[in-house]
Amino acid sequence: MVSRSEVLSLCRAMLRAGRQYPHYNLREYTKRRTLDGFRMNKNLTDQSKVNEAYAEAKAQLVVLERSVKFHSLYPPKTKNIMEVKLQ
Amino acid sequence: MASKAITSTIRRALSKPHGVVSRRHHLSTAAAAATDYEDESIMMKGVRISGRPLYLDMQATTPIDPRVFDAMNDSGINEYGNPHSRTHLYGWEAENAVEVARIQVAKLIGASPKEIIFMSGATEANNTAVKGVMHFYKDTKKHVITTQTEHKCVLDSCRHLQQEGFEVTYLPVKTDGLVDLEMLREAIRPDTGLVSIMAVNNEIGVVQPMEEIGQICKEHNVPFHTDAAQAIGKIPVDVKKWNIGLMSMSAHKIYGPKGVGALFVRRRPRIRLEPLMNGGGQERGLRSGTAATQQILGFGAACDLAMKEMEYDEKWIKGLQERLLNGIREKLDGVVVNGSMESRYSGNLNLSFAYVEGESLLMGLKEVAVSSGSACTSASLEPSYVLRALGVDEDMAHTSIRFGIGRFTTKEEIDKAVELTVKQVVKLREMSPLYEMVKEGIDIKNIQWSQH
Repeated sequence: MVSRSEVLSLCRAMLRAGRQYPHYNLREYTKRRTLDGFRMNKNLTDQSKVNEAYAEAKAQLVVLERSVKFHSLYPPKTKNIMEVKLQ
Repeated sequence: MASKAITSTIRRALSKPHGVVSRRHHLSTAAAAATDYEDESIMMKGVRISGRPLYLDMQATTPIDPRVFDAMNDSGINEYGNPHSRTHLYGWEAENAVEVARIQVAKLIGASPKEIIFMSGATEANNTAVKGVMHFYKDTKKHVITTQTEHKCVLDSCRHLQQEGFEVTYLPVKTDGLVDLEMLREAIRPDTGLVSIMAVNNEIGVVQPMEEIGQICKEHNVPFHTDAAQAIGKIPVDVKKWNIGLMSMSAHKIYGPKGVGALFVRRRPRIRLEPLMNGGGQERGLRSGTAATQQILGFGAACDLAMKEMEYDEKWIKGLQERLLNGIREKLDGVVVNGSMESRYSGNLNLSFAYVEGESLLMGLKEVAVSSGSACTSASLEPSYVLRALGVDEDMAHTSIRFGIGRFTTKEEIDKAVELTVKQVVKLREMSPLYEMVKEGIDIKNIQWSQH
């Protein structure tokens, strides 16, 4: 049985992890995909489906944290145009 | 002069070193900003750009999705055995991993895993398909049908076959880029060995009527080969529905690694072909050589991901394409979309800007990584053969720009691309005497230019 607070904290964990990417495109994609992914399953009522979706997202969090660590070892040497002009 | 040198050395000494990803606060004027960028800007080929350009060239290649990267790392580090070693755990592990990837690729296209042959890319797959099939049936089948807008590797393989004595028909396309089905039907002869038509064109993005073409080929019992490198993972592909005999696939177009691809070879009814790579008989004898395990796993993971994300990506990319096209059309006139707008993959937008010189447009768009109609296919300044086949005028073909939108493109990037393109085109048009004449109502095509 997965509670609402567990789902929310998983979403927060994924967003927090995604923010660590040094790469502009990956950062933005992770934020968008995570929020859209959780929103798509927002109205699930069947508890087994909710558990399934939760387990899937948890596995993806593991992959996300690992790839954030890996990608942070190779940051881009110069900033992306989108980040430069933001200032 | 001396004080200037001193201040610049002091500035350089105090500024942060390369590789530090931090926020810098720039103040006030553009002049100050220009000198501050000196330390972090990129200087290449005589051009200075202030940061890495935004990437809008998804048809050329795509960045590797981090989830795909993750799937590749484990095998590279731990499961490094040769999948064809039958005697120890390393070989068994690697073989299992390759088989899992094979199933993932097969699922994406609706095929059986036994029909997938891994290769080094879509180019090798195209070569194997075109040359392999025709060489196998060279006693009875002497004719190949293809289109004028195919990828260079297919056209070059056909030219090679022509030198060997086969006959090739290059079907023309209509102005919207689609193949004329009646022409195809008429071109098929009793000795036609292969019909090769690509599913999604890499330059203009049009989607050919695959089901109808497959139907025609089935009626006449001719193997149907398609180069689906730009199609898989982006539009729904079903080899049974399209009646496909051979299909080339590439990993690096669907957020996978470069250097791997696959060829689908139908087993029922069987398509026979002569292998290009001879050797130990791996991959059913059709492609000998050690399988590139790490790359193949990446390809499998990319296909798996593409299957799950296809709908979501399609919705996002379609929205971005509309945003791009409407954004440009709002501010500019004389913008032509090359290729059919209805039968198109939404991630590919090929635009021609009238009354603008192509090379100077590209030179001004250095902060956006896009491709143009001419540079794509040749080092010379000749306009692309695909645009010529569409019947586009020389001057419009030169100013064509191909925008490639993908999974990782953001709304802000599209807005910035619109802004930069519009700015550059307006600047060039202001300088152009031809545009002035058009504004006054003079028809350029009917001018009698005088000799001096």
